[in-house]
Amino acid sequence: MYNLFQFFLRYYLFFLFVSLEIFCFYLIFQNKHYNEVAYMNVANSMSGKVYSTYTGASDYLYLRRFSDSLVDENAKLRAQLLDSKYISKIDSGILRDSTLKNVQQYSFISARVIHNSVNEAANLIYLDRGRLQGVGKQMGVINANGIVGQVVAVTDNYSAVMSVLSKEFKVSAKFKKNEFFGNLHWDGVNSTTASMEDIPKHVPVKVGDTLVTSGFSQLFPRNIMVGRVKTVKMEPDKNFLEITVDLSTNFGSLSYVYVVNNLKKQEILLLDSLAH
Amino acid sequence: MLNQIPLNIFRLALLLLAQILIFSNINFSSFINPYIFPLFILLLPFETPRWVLMLFGMFSGLLLDYFLGSTGMHAAAGLLIGYMRPFLINIITPKGTEFEISPNVYAQGITWFIVYLGITMFIYLTLYFFVEAATFLNFFFMLLKIFLSTVVSVIFMLIFLFLFSSKKKRRFV
Repeated sequence: MYNLFQFFLRYYLFFLFVSLEIFCFYLIFQNKHYNEVAYMNVANSMSGKVYSTYTGASDYLYLRRFSDSLVDENAKLRAQLLDSKYISKIDSGILRDSTLKNVQQYSFISARVIHNSVNEAANLIYLDRGRLQGVGKQMGVINANGIVGQVVAVTDNYSAVMSVLSKEFKVSAKFKKNEFFGNLHWDGVNSTTASMEDIPKHVPVKVGDTLVTSGFSQLFPRNIMVGRVKTVKMEPDKNFLEITVDLSTNFGSLSYVYVVNNLKKQEILLLDSLAH
Repeated sequence: MLNQIPLNIFRLALLLLAQILIFSNINFSSFINPYIFPLFILLLPFETPRWVLMLFGMFSGLLLDYFLGSTGMHAAAGLLIGYMRPFLINIITPKGTEFEISPNVYAQGITWFIVYLGITMFIYLTLYFFVEAATFLNFFFMLLKIFLSTVVSVIFMLIFLFLFSSKKKRRFV
């Protein structure tokens, strides 16, 4: 017993090291399995406040670029207004406001990016909007150029978004020209490309083909831009094409984004539970 | 000895802010991901007991994890270099060297610091990047990433050291 005690006393530093290291790895693996708990930490108000203070200061340096992108986007939106379309027939069933209310499926919450990364294995984006502004977990996030990610944690005033540049992120995407759909996921190396899975070999795919969201996942509306095909490879021993996609969103320079609120989500979830 | 405590607290805060607001905020490239925060552990006084180094390594790592959302990863790496530090300093320091109270770039010299920072950052980043990726796929990509990040981290650390070290040679008995 005394020898055992002596043994532990002599090597106590090593045992302390090993036990603390085990504790750290316990934290890491717990994080991997229960993402939401871990992301709660980063979306919390304390680190959120530090990041939003910093962004508040650094925004002044980019005001011009922000206003340019907002003006561009306004121009695009203005082009979509009914007023700016030429209507050939008078009173040909244009939707009135009251009916518009009934068919609206998505609403959008604008938010500012207060922290962003593209070099990690799982990239997180923090937004300055939270529960009080209507952001909820599992909502999609887009910007003017394309898809951005999915909300994984919300606090009262901040939220954390798992970006498309995360290995765990998958989104259902389709080819704009022929509606064939598959899963898009990030390969973990380059922040501008992702790969497209589950596209059978008989589908004609060319470099430059446009990919948009399919709307099947309830995260994003249909036909939101995802990217363009960069390379297509056909391996003889595989059943599916190997496609890399140039993402249309520039994750290195995100400033303003929109959180997608799917107003019909509850109804679709209900339908889902009834069908199974 | 007493003024070492506020000095180190100030250094911790400065490094933390520099890390989260500058080095983890600017996306250099997918190959280069510099970390200067471990400098906190590396600049603690030479006489710091090993168990204190380990605990400080872990808790400062947890602090960084809290801001970067990587629960436990920097803690594990910080703990490792805290454990290794006395060992490493013994190996790379010539016998009979007179020590300042804590590592100082003007006292130890730049060569000593490049070796010291290079070895610790290589170990730190190897553990961190492999744990982060949780896979040994893309092995050569990872090696290149670790190597380049180590080089860039050491360069930024040296800049930090030359900016914030005191030139005056002080003698503490």
